[in-house]
Amino acid sequence: MILGPVAQIVAFSLCALIAIAGALGMATTMSMFRSGIFLMASFIGVAGLFILLSADLLGLLQVMMYIGGMLVMILFMVLFSHDPGGAMMAGMQLPIIEKFFSLGLLPREQKQEEQSQHAGNGHQPMEQNGQDDHAGHADHGDQDAEQNGHDEHAGQNGHGGHEDHEDHEHHEHMDMSMTTPIKKPAAVLAVLVGVILVGLLLLRPAWPIVAATPNPNSAEMVGHLLMGKYMLAFEGAGLLILIGIFGAVFLARAGHFPDERGREARVAVDAQPTAPEAPALQPVADADPPDAAELVGVTEIQTRRNLEKDGRGEQ
Amino acid sequence: MIIPLTAYLIVGAVLFAIGIYAVLAQRSAVMILMGIEVLLNAIGLNLIAFWRFVRPDDYSAQIFTILIVTIGAVEMAVGLAIMLLLYRNRQTVQVDAYEELHG
Repeated sequence: MILGPVAQIVAFSLCALIAIAGALGMATTMSMFRSGIFLMASFIGVAGLFILLSADLLGLLQVMMYIGGMLVMILFMVLFSHDPGGAMMAGMQLPIIEKFFSLGLLPREQKQEEQSQHAGNGHQPMEQNGQDDHAGHADHGDQDAEQNGHDEHAGQNGHGGHEDHEDHEHHEHMDMSMTTPIKKPAAVLAVLVGVILVGLLLLRPAWPIVAATPNPNSAEMVGHLLMGKYMLAFEGAGLLILIGIFGAVFLARAGHFPDERGREARVAVDAQPTAPEAPALQPVADADPPDAAELVGVTEIQTRRNLEKDGRGEQ
Repeated sequence: MIIPLTAYLIVGAVLFAIGIYAVLAQRSAVMILMGIEVLLNAIGLNLIAFWRFVRPDDYSAQIFTILIVTIGAVEMAVGLAIMLLLYRNRQTVQVDAYEELHG
């Protein structure tokens, strides 16, 4: 390899740091957009590790596929989310890792909202109801989680302060949080998995390491394998991609499930039928005068929409 | 070959743990997909590290990693299409808004 030992160590530490810090930031920051960017950093770090392992083709493939393709899709979907910039959680009390990775997030009109809340605005009763509701649920969840955690991992006392901190957060801002109520068990499980894996790796005496260096022209070798031994898998992957694209287009097409604007367009069409055969579609409304028919149709649709909204509000 | 194999494997293990946390603890479906990508990345890193240190003459590990990346891309596309559909129905992609799906 061309790199000297010091350069190798520096490159490895840099890439590993970028990969791990990026993944950690992705998992803990309050801003979804920022977590997309952190994920890109993590991919770049892993690509650097691939190149260090002399799998340069895979490093390039990683950058092109993940960052060029998937991350664009992810950032597109992030913009659909409720709070992509993390503006709601920005001013909150956070555990230290999340606080670090959420540094510099601007709360959305924080001072004005706080003042209006203290002054007792029209929004306050609804929010309080919602918070009480969720606080009740959170109580159960937290108690269960604490019991489980203490029963299973009674030896781990290091998490105590952290958990108290998170309790506080859950009680106050349950609804806006980006994480589920099982965040604490999930964190404990993840730390446990990490500790066990790293411990097993450190305890493992030796792998059957070979001193041989791979052929530097790895693209040629991979191409020969793809076209020879693994041709069936290659074709299968192509078929899978084709079916996946068909499925994605089929799922996401505008058809049976119109969005809000589509519903409004349908309501408008129902209210003012232009085509002569439009009344025939509503056999009940045939006998009535046209005004009544319009009213019936519109109110039906409106009650349906109200019901839907209520259902959404409950959740 | 100054860096030992165990160092790469430890990086992979830490990435895997972080991915598990992201998949379990995040509310938004987009974030869960990101966590799955981190998990797949950790697996690929492990495969390539073992290839480089144990069987550098057999390039099957790279084929396997390419297939993992491909399947990850397909899964991401289908997942995002499902998410688009869910968003169109209920204006949210947070997974605990779809509690009735747990059967």
